[in-house]
Amino acid sequence: MPRPVFWKVGATDGIRRSQIAHLDRDRGLVVEARRDPTAFEPLYRRYLAQVYSYAYYELGDHHEAEDATERTFLFALSGLPRFQERAHPEDGQGASTFRVWLFRIARNVVANQRRGRRRHRWAPLEAASAVADPMDVEGRATDRAAAADAWAAVGRLPGDRRRAVVLRFVDEMSTAEIAGILGRSEGAVRVLIHRALRSVARDLDKREASFTPAELPGNPAR
Amino acid sequence: MTLPIHDRVEAEALLTDHYLESLLAAHDRHAQDIPFDTALDSDVRRAAAKLRSNLTRVHPSFRFEERLAASLAEAAARLRLAPAAGGESGARRYEGLDYDPADRDIQMDPHDGDPTPRGRVTHPSRPLLIGGALTSAALSIAGAAYVAWRRSRPTSSAMERAVRLAHRQRAVRAASGAIARRGLD
Repeated sequence: MPRPVFWKVGATDGIRRSQIAHLDRDRGLVVEARRDPTAFEPLYRRYLAQVYSYAYYELGDHHEAEDATERTFLFALSGLPRFQERAHPEDGQGASTFRVWLFRIARNVVANQRRGRRRHRWAPLEAASAVADPMDVEGRATDRAAAADAWAAVGRLPGDRRRAVVLRFVDEMSTAEIAGILGRSEGAVRVLIHRALRSVARDLDKREASFTPAELPGNPAR
Repeated sequence: MTLPIHDRVEAEALLTDHYLESLLAAHDRHAQDIPFDTALDSDVRRAAAKLRSNLTRVHPSFRFEERLAASLAEAAARLRLAPAAGGESGARRYEGLDYDPADRDIQMDPHDGDPTPRGRVTHPSRPLLIGGALTSAALSIAGAAYVAWRRSRPTSSAMERAVRLAHRQRAVRAASGAIARRGLD
């Protein structure tokens, strides 16, 4: 495990304040991989599931998600000499500029892949079953229905709202990181997510209103 | 005091953001109680809780993970060998990549709805055009050569012999007509 890298920053409003900012937590691995490309593997292992999840939520298909993930990492490996660390103290502890850079690649790859389609295929039921716990037989039907509703509601969100929600909830990224990936300000990202949640709430309300009481998710008689 | 709509939305978005921070942190430490501001919209809270419990991370198959690891190792070995073989300082790139892939402009999905900036289409079209032109020229030359070869090498099928005969007879008739006209003159 590489040691975290710290950096002294300061000088605001003429007062020289010393402050410890945590820079890219991947810096050690990135330096090593730039020196020797065969050392890229730890970075790949660290972010594989995150990149794959993002691609899967965006594309809704395992094969397409695999294609997008493969291209993302191959681009990242060959583009690594061009990566520039641009960490800011306000990115917060644990912020990784490598992760932001990697997800910018993933976003471009996935968007290009989606562009080739006539219409975005969203398969909430299949997708939900893929993440349901296979051992929990009793809870599976209810969980799958609830997950399918949630996935469908997210799938109906427009582009950047959907991406912001997936990055926030699935990849657990900070607003600053999402802003870096989507190329928007932090304030704009906060508003995107807030509006997305309101849309999802309205969508879920509509769905629940369309069920009879016996069909409501969570009803054991269902 | 009432805030203008824009500021109000931003203020609400900030509250939502703080709530999400608490929600994600609570999930990490398996806590049940999540502190929230009473001004926060209950619908937003409900939707956030629903998404938090249902949007889980998806893992690829082990087979895919190992296959991609092998591909990356192979590509990395090629990159490492490139400078030793006289290439440009390890910069041999995937599929002719000579830019930062993260800065690549993209054209967004037209069905996405959000007014995101649309950049130039970044498919490497020039090599495709040059390749197409070369292929087209090569096909034209090959076609012309084939026609010339066919003309110089008459075949012996019955139909072609009949066509050649008819063509020759027409030529003979035209020539004899011309000679007859000259004789009359």
